[in-house]
Amino acid sequence: MSMTPNTEFENQNTILDIDIMIDDSPPSSSEKREDVHSLLALIGLRFMVSSMLTRIHAGYFRISLSLCWETLLWKTLLDPTNSETKFLHRIPQMVYRPVLIFLWSFALFILVLLSLLYLLRCIFRFNLVKGEFLHHVGVNYLFAPWISWLILLESFPFIAPKHIGYKALWWVFALPVVILDIKIYGQWFTKGKRFLTAVANPTSHLSVIGNLVGARAAAKMGWQEVSVCLFSLGMVHYLVLFVTLYQRLSGSDRLPAMLRPVFFLFSAAPSMASLAWASITGSFDTASKMLFFLSLFLFTSLICRPTLFKKSMRKFNVAWWAYSYPVTLLALASTRYAKEVKGEVPHTIMLTLSSLSVLVIIALLLFTALYSKILLRDDDPCLKLPKHSRLCIQNFK
Amino acid sequence: MGTSEQIHPANEPSSEGLPSLIRFISSEMDHDFDSIVNDHINNLSAPALDSYSPNSSIMVSEAAAERESNRIHSVSISMPPTPKRVGFTDNNETIDAPDSAAATSKDKKTRFYSQPMPSATTTESSAGAPASGELPRHPRISKLKDKRFDSFKTWSGRLERQLSNLRGNKIQEIEQESVSQPTAEPQPNTPINIPVDRFFDALEGPELDKLRASEESILPEDKTWPFLLRYPISSFGIILGVSSQAIMWKALATSASTKFLHISMDVNLVLWWISIVLMAIVTFAYVLKIIFYFEAVRREYYHPIRVNFFFAPWIALLFLALGLPPSVYQSLPHALWYVLMIPFLCLELKIYGQWMSGGQRRLSKVANPSNHLSVVGNFVGSLLGASMGLKEGPIFFFAVGLAHYTVLFVTLYQRLPTNETLPKELHPVFFLFVAAPSVASMAWANIQGSFDFGARIAYFIALFLYFSLAVRINFFRGFRFSLAWWAYTFPMTGAAIATIRYSNMVNTVVTKSLVVILCIISTLTVTGLLVTTIIHAFVLRDLFPNDISIAISDRKPKTHRRWYHHRRAGSTDIDQFLKYADSAEAKDIEAALSGNIELQSTAAPKEVSQD
Repeated sequence: MSMTPNTEFENQNTILDIDIMIDDSPPSSSEKREDVHSLLALIGLRFMVSSMLTRIHAGYFRISLSLCWETLLWKTLLDPTNSETKFLHRIPQMVYRPVLIFLWSFALFILVLLSLLYLLRCIFRFNLVKGEFLHHVGVNYLFAPWISWLILLESFPFIAPKHIGYKALWWVFALPVVILDIKIYGQWFTKGKRFLTAVANPTSHLSVIGNLVGARAAAKMGWQEVSVCLFSLGMVHYLVLFVTLYQRLSGSDRLPAMLRPVFFLFSAAPSMASLAWASITGSFDTASKMLFFLSLFLFTSLICRPTLFKKSMRKFNVAWWAYSYPVTLLALASTRYAKEVKGEVPHTIMLTLSSLSVLVIIALLLFTALYSKILLRDDDPCLKLPKHSRLCIQNFK
Repeated sequence: MGTSEQIHPANEPSSEGLPSLIRFISSEMDHDFDSIVNDHINNLSAPALDSYSPNSSIMVSEAAAERESNRIHSVSISMPPTPKRVGFTDNNETIDAPDSAAATSKDKKTRFYSQPMPSATTTESSAGAPASGELPRHPRISKLKDKRFDSFKTWSGRLERQLSNLRGNKIQEIEQESVSQPTAEPQPNTPINIPVDRFFDALEGPELDKLRASEESILPEDKTWPFLLRYPISSFGIILGVSSQAIMWKALATSASTKFLHISMDVNLVLWWISIVLMAIVTFAYVLKIIFYFEAVRREYYHPIRVNFFFAPWIALLFLALGLPPSVYQSLPHALWYVLMIPFLCLELKIYGQWMSGGQRRLSKVANPSNHLSVVGNFVGSLLGASMGLKEGPIFFFAVGLAHYTVLFVTLYQRLPTNETLPKELHPVFFLFVAAPSVASMAWANIQGSFDFGARIAYFIALFLYFSLAVRINFFRGFRFSLAWWAYTFPMTGAAIATIRYSNMVNTVVTKSLVVILCIISTLTVTGLLVTTIIHAFVLRDLFPNDISIAISDRKPKTHRRWYHHRRAGSTDIDQFLKYADSAEAKDIEAALSGNIELQSTAAPKEVSQD
């Protein structure tokens, strides 16, 4: 944690508790005041951390997902070898490197912060983590940290994919994805209550994306078999999930209105699949193009339905970050597409999507900075668990 | 209160006597209370709007248009009541609240009160209305009928009045209506969204075109309606059938493997010109229908089966471009492809978006074989684009079509119990199953440049489906002929064309004989259908029967109102099991409001309600 007790007092965005405590402290001699201050600061810190641990759920990794993918997008766009973005290369190499390093460090910082918090949460609030695992939406976000780390690894400006450190780290991050796969996908078709038609919702795409990210990273390292294995795993389950979600057997998707932004994950999964396939085969062939077009179509279809998201736009919440990374993914795929198919239209698509992605993430950063207090509020839908798992939570408490 | 201003929400009578809020609650008991209150508050606060303005942007606008169940329109009526009207108010006592049918009829009377009755002029202006002959004999009945059909007219007859004014005809005196049928529930002029459940409850049959015994139609069933009202969108199927024949004969004449048949290009030329003429006629008639009876067009759009036929005009245009004889025009410009595909893209963005996120019209509920029409257009566009030499656009539509076809195919094959629209018996609509794979195989062959494995896989799937339906030919009996059958012939023709392409690649006796057989079958089918159509048109004179499916009342007749669930006997198991968390709320919300997803989701996942 990088915050010091002193900065908390000055920082107006701290949790309300702290402010009240500070205001109530009676005046005394300076020395005593300092002791009291530091004691209160420690207690305040403890409370703040504790309340954060209660509130930070895996959905907060959306922030790190967005930042990491944005970094990757900028790495691709500003890449000197990318002929499609020649206009950006009025920026000299000297600027490219620092900009990338800055972005990457920021993403790293946020990711480390979130990972540490979540680690503490696993240690101290394991019952809550378990509750997340049992929740049909929360469970999919358990993939999010690993995806973020994998993407961050890929967008690292300094090492090449074939480096030994890269490979070692890949194993560290990809293994949990596979373990989660086995657990969750197995549940889909065997488990009593948590079968697919009951739990399927748009966030289930994250499990598919996790596999595809692993596949792409493996392909970049030259591990053909592993990457094809992970790719096929992801695609098979994507097929099943796509059909199930389109059928919408159970009507309302059991998704609260606040989580409507996750509908954009519909377009995220095919774009990731097209990128992964492009990495596996080496070129952006017809299959990748088809997946990219499907993703573009789904994205357009969602953009044309703004009333679907009206309800969730009333109050700021962390689910808004779910708007950002599907757009970034689509922009990445369009970059790849524009590189393969030269022409005006692909170029325009790439520029539009990239600028949209940048705009969205800047807007989200602004909103987060302005409303960071709201970000950690108590009544987050992901924390509200359905009845059966709430019972479990009661038991654990 | 009577005539100055009356506020009419979607389907409720305005306040009269009883406080309207109570009336709301008592008559709409299966609505969510919040929504009712919201409706009412909206009604009270909204200013008077023109009730006759149709929602003409339904077809091309976004989801908002479809979900505006809360849109209210109020009517301002300027004519003073006559004693006779008061008499009718007494007749149809509406104070006992649940009798909303009478209430709305009374309101309808008041609503239509100020509307002049251009009886003669109306029937003259609507093309080919057969009712004009009856006018001199039964002026009142014909006026009645006009009034009833007025609810379907665009701007409820204002256009006719304007036209008749232009023609200098006298506008008739304002009369009250005579007896309005006690059970007929007049359709308010305000655009309402009819929930898809209403269609399922009110209609039956493989094409959802027969009214159930317990239902009433809001238009008189014993009279012949104006021609335009009877003109369904499925008439575009004729063009599909004929133009696909043109393509087939063109392929027969130009393919290397069928040179032995010595077909001349004239057949293609003749058929193509016939299709052009038919297209012009059908389009003209339907455009007239849009102009004059927009409400009927809207209702067709909400019909779960007819909505797919809205793709038919665009597919027909694509077929015409595909079947273009070389003697007429050598090669089409690329811009034409974009022009043809853009409206198609907009329409499919709307429809597929409904499948994905719309509340009521999700696929597991409305899937039926006619949905293939929504999907096959992608493949046809892709085929045309690839044959014109475009590269990326065809791949785009092929990808979209393939993804949605997979979903549709799985859903239809599952024959889910929650799926109401699948006909239990075989019906010619099942031939649409053959359409998508055969066109997809040709499209893929054009994209790839040769009839490779992907194309062959799709082709064999098409062939298998064709044969599995053909051997069950005995079960295709006993169905009433309808114009939509024309649309079911193009898959057979498509399979024949795909076989021609295949035989170009695999040039054996087997494939050639298959070509001949399939072409003969398809030609015979089309000829038979043509004869049947002519018989029905001129001998039996029932080619265009009263289109009951657009005239269902927007609410069930009183006795059956609350028991929607009974009808879905087979679905209870899966429904119960799947909806264990939010069954009651979800059903009620969906039944009550048309696709208003915000309200739906506030109620449905109660345990995670956020607001």
